[in-house]
Amino acid sequence: MLTRRQFLDTSMQSTSILSLASSIPCFLTRSLQAAETKTNNGRILVVIELNGGNDGLNTVVPFTNENYQKYRTALRISESKVLKLNPEIGLHPAMKDAAKLVEDGRLAVIQGVGYPNPNRSHFESMAIWQSAQQNPKAHGGYGWLGRALDQKLNRNQTFADAICLGDVDPPQALRGRQATQSTIRNLAELQLDSQSVNADVGSDENTADDLLQFVRRRTVDARDTVERISKLNHASQTKTRYPQNGLANRLKDIARLIRAELEPRVYYTVQAGYDTHINQEFDHYRRLSAFSGALNAFLNDLRESQLDERVLVLVFSEFGRRVAENDSQGTDHGTAGPVFLAGPAVKAGLHGTHPDLTDLEDGDLKMTTDFRSVYATVLSKWLAINPQSCLQGNFAAMDLLQS
Amino acid sequence: MEVALQAEKPGISTCWREYRPTKKSPWDLRRVVHLHRRAGFAATWEEIQRDLQEGPQASIDRVMNGTTCEKTYPEDFERMSASIAEAAVRSNQPERLKAWWLFRMLFTTDPLTEKLTLLWHNHFATSNQKLKDLSLMRQQNDLFRSLARAPFGKLLIGILHDPALLLWLDAPSNHKVHPNENLARELMELFTLGIGHFNETDVKEAARALTGWTVIDDRFSFRASQHDAGQKTILNQRRAWKGDELVELLLDQRGTAQRLAGRLCQLFLGEGAAQPADIDALADGLRTHDLDIDWATETILRSELFFADQNIRQRVADPAECIIGATRALELVDPPPQTIILTDWMRQFGQDLFYPPNVGGWNGGRHWLRTSALISRANFATGLSRGQFSSTQMPPNWSDFAAKHGRSSSPEEFVTFLADLLLGGEPNPGWIEGIVNSVSSNSHSRAAVLQQAVAAVLASPEAQLN
Repeated sequence: MLTRRQFLDTSMQSTSILSLASSIPCFLTRSLQAAETKTNNGRILVVIELNGGNDGLNTVVPFTNENYQKYRTALRISESKVLKLNPEIGLHPAMKDAAKLVEDGRLAVIQGVGYPNPNRSHFESMAIWQSAQQNPKAHGGYGWLGRALDQKLNRNQTFADAICLGDVDPPQALRGRQATQSTIRNLAELQLDSQSVNADVGSDENTADDLLQFVRRRTVDARDTVERISKLNHASQTKTRYPQNGLANRLKDIARLIRAELEPRVYYTVQAGYDTHINQEFDHYRRLSAFSGALNAFLNDLRESQLDERVLVLVFSEFGRRVAENDSQGTDHGTAGPVFLAGPAVKAGLHGTHPDLTDLEDGDLKMTTDFRSVYATVLSKWLAINPQSCLQGNFAAMDLLQS
Repeated sequence: MEVALQAEKPGISTCWREYRPTKKSPWDLRRVVHLHRRAGFAATWEEIQRDLQEGPQASIDRVMNGTTCEKTYPEDFERMSASIAEAAVRSNQPERLKAWWLFRMLFTTDPLTEKLTLLWHNHFATSNQKLKDLSLMRQQNDLFRSLARAPFGKLLIGILHDPALLLWLDAPSNHKVHPNENLARELMELFTLGIGHFNETDVKEAARALTGWTVIDDRFSFRASQHDAGQKTILNQRRAWKGDELVELLLDQRGTAQRLAGRLCQLFLGEGAAQPADIDALADGLRTHDLDIDWATETILRSELFFADQNIRQRVADPAECIIGATRALELVDPPPQTIILTDWMRQFGQDLFYPPNVGGWNGGRHWLRTSALISRANFATGLSRGQFSSTQMPPNWSDFAAKHGRSSSPEEFVTFLADLLLGGEPNPGWIEGIVNSVSSNSHSRAAVLQQAVAAVLASPEAQLN
């Protein structure tokens, strides 16, 4: 175990470009706590957001259903192409890797996930999924994972409580009252110019200016991030072959961060482009194919490093799409859709019931599982966090994970 | 006096009264620098001195009439701008079109209009990711610029006939038989009313009213055969709504004025500077002024609130303000910087021009300070101070720069000058000393100390605020 002095010494030596000596920022004291606590056995949650509203009906396909065949003509996926999970339901033909994961016991498919009184605005519906709050007034506030991380503050804060990787704004799901998150575009962008000089950023006590304090803290956190990432540069590269796509690159970087034993328990990344109003077939195929290939490689990579037992992946989208396709070979905003959980800890295969295509509401599916029940499961059974305050209500956990 | 002003501008709450220098809030360096950082992309030392002399009235007149920046581009700016844009479109390289816009921001004498152009790009966020057509993106950008300060109705009608926007929001797929709701929804949610002022039925019915609006051969076209001429109920009014009438209806709603007032306050004012009642009052004023953006902009820029202490240095500087502002204020324009390199810094700072993250545009504010963006801001500061973005890549002579403005090259005096120029004075006690100590302890030559001082000032937390 490191002593306080040793810890500070190593930190300072490795930050010759960062002159922090005049004020020891709070992250160092937090780091000290973390260094003194064995946190490496902790479980990790990786969230993948499918942004734009994934067409659930063509992802988890009720291929024998008469109504499916009626509502989907141009976009129909035929029985001969679907990847069958049972005699009635199958995965989109682009999802071969995902189908293998189901077979292999590492992918659970939860059908018809949504919430009452669905909202079809990207932003509103995304805010509902991220905040786990239906009241729009709560949408500017904290996220479901931010609230969860707030409950576990003292342990895992060296880096940040959560990391979002990709060219996106920090997701609301990770926003907590005190929990911190780092958003990183890619690992290469986390290096400082070798000619940089960073002056003392000033300390919090120096000002009552809330905005300036915010910038100072962000600056200190950013420097901390730089230092940690630079230590990873020599970390061994994986042998696993990832497909060539953006999501795969991001998951590969997340695997590196997990391998480097950084403390965050939550990682977040986004695959965009699911807003398929027009000419959906090719776009949707390409995205689902990229998604399942990337997920498969990620899980294999972690298995190779014997870390996969510690990792659970949650995959969601802000809504599914309208049951009837539109006139432009696309689909408009809809309601419920599938959620995936992946990793060796899951009970693989189909869960819940597929929404009834004869019982639509305004041409949209009625949800069969509330998304907050899935969250409750992840929180209570995976992260060991009491879900009630995170979700601000009682939602029964589901039987989705191996005990 | 106050009563008279109130009478001049009916319906305007007291915070929008015109700023007059007082003992407590004098027309000083701090306020001049503030004006230029907020209403433009920072100022040179000469411009600052000029405005200190001329006073608020004349300085804001200059901002409004496009003469605030001294002409630094040696040739005919508009002609050069047009030829750069044409070449960019012909090349089909998005980076070159981005570089064109940065060229404009850097060399225009009217930065306010470029700033508002950027606001509209964010408001009607259209991405070339989907469009893949630089000619249409440029055309849309020119539209934003030409109507940037017009009554909003003109801009809205213009943009709803803009091929880039219509293609972006799938208008050509919005048919009588199968309406596509994309345009109708964003028109109500993002462009005019804002969330909470309409419901799902309104969206569906508005989509019907907009059927037939399409793009043929890269031009707006109305196809009567695709238009649904039936009765529709929109915002509780039932009639055979047509697209134009829908636009009039939306312009007439209070929510629209409210949203515009909020947008402009977000652009020109610091966090929490305007109270809800102030925004309400501005919205009222917009409604009595035909939603005139120029009127609202001028009202804000001339106001007591704009120059109030709680509004100064209380806004996160956005990527263009940082990049263009530092380049202009430090006079790194001769030789001109390679704007194509600056476009990549814009991307790293989180604002990839012509590629907004989604239909909602960039969130701005504190969202700019992502971890990766903050590291990029520090790296940009280092690169700029070393002259790495200029076409010659020669390190700037910072001693000469100081001497040109009558300052010595002692580290203390130079950092004091940078604080005056970039921040309107030392932001808090001990700040200058802190910068001087951090750069003089690990550098050898005087030139290196000055270069590192520039980098340290630009990368400081204080410099991330406008």
